[in-house]
Amino acid sequence: MKIDGAVIAITGGAKGLGLCIAEDLVGKGGIVEVVDRDAELVATLPSEISGACYDVAEPEDVQKWIDGIVQNHGRIDILINNAGVIYNEPIVNILNPTSMRHDFSNFKRVITGNLYTTFLVTSHVVEHMVKLRTKGSIINISSISSAGNEGQTAYSAAKAGINSMTVTWAKELGRLGIRCNAIAPGFIDTPSTRASLQSTTIRHLESQTPLRRLGTPHDVAHAVISLIENDYINGVILGVDGGLRI
Amino acid sequence: MDKKLAQTLADVFELLPSEVHHGITRESVASWDSLRQMDLVVSLERDFNISLEMEDILKMTSVSSIIQVLLSKGVEIEN
Repeated sequence: MKIDGAVIAITGGAKGLGLCIAEDLVGKGGIVEVVDRDAELVATLPSEISGACYDVAEPEDVQKWIDGIVQNHGRIDILINNAGVIYNEPIVNILNPTSMRHDFSNFKRVITGNLYTTFLVTSHVVEHMVKLRTKGSIINISSISSAGNEGQTAYSAAKAGINSMTVTWAKELGRLGIRCNAIAPGFIDTPSTRASLQSTTIRHLESQTPLRRLGTPHDVAHAVISLIENDYINGVILGVDGGLRI
Repeated sequence: MDKKLAQTLADVFELLPSEVHHGITRESVASWDSLRQMDLVVSLERDFNISLEMEDILKMTSVSSIIQVLLSKGVEIEN
């Protein structure tokens, strides 16, 4: 699929990894529409990226955003489900004897922010793709944590669910020429990674990674571009992690 | 029954071509679900070199209605 002239919807695209993907796709000639909950961030987007402020965990918001794009551009060719919530909490915290168990509301919030959002946006976009007979491409941003990561019960489960949905949709929609793939990044050097991890932890992660460095947002964006452009890749969970998973 | 259409429908619904007849409906074929409907669309488009719109796809609920859609697209069907 050619990116030049393609209509591309990106969730969580106003900062960090999502913004980098958006900018790199604009650089390839894509017509990029991003959504983010943060109105201030949306207001700071470069002029070549269209932004909307909606909550993709809310079905009505998703419908407004997606219908608006189709109304403006006539179709959506590519969807990138990038919006997500990172959260760490062990299943049992022995340092908190009054409330040792993983908080259920936090579990639901993380599942909603990662898994439900991907389902909601994709269902709306695919409905349009099928009605308009668009041979589109869907890319879900998963995580190396989908294999299970200590301290990330909810996040790991959500990302594993995203991997399963990716394969399911690849099987269901491939017959119509709609492809679905996922990217599972390892540790990517973004401001939020730097803010959430201590420098000693980052050095440890670098030493554990065969390529001895964190990934860059452009490494992930490059993988996104490859998955879009290669029309015979379908149902793949592509690790972009410097070999950390091996 | 048109042999080419019978073969296409037999392939989609996993029937023998001899089992395909005008009286078949979506209700009478266990395998005719939403996913098979998508297979049907792609197969008809490929085998008869046509493009089907959403309106056509929703109309195709029986062999008779499939034939009507194909005829409306200018496809020549043998009885």
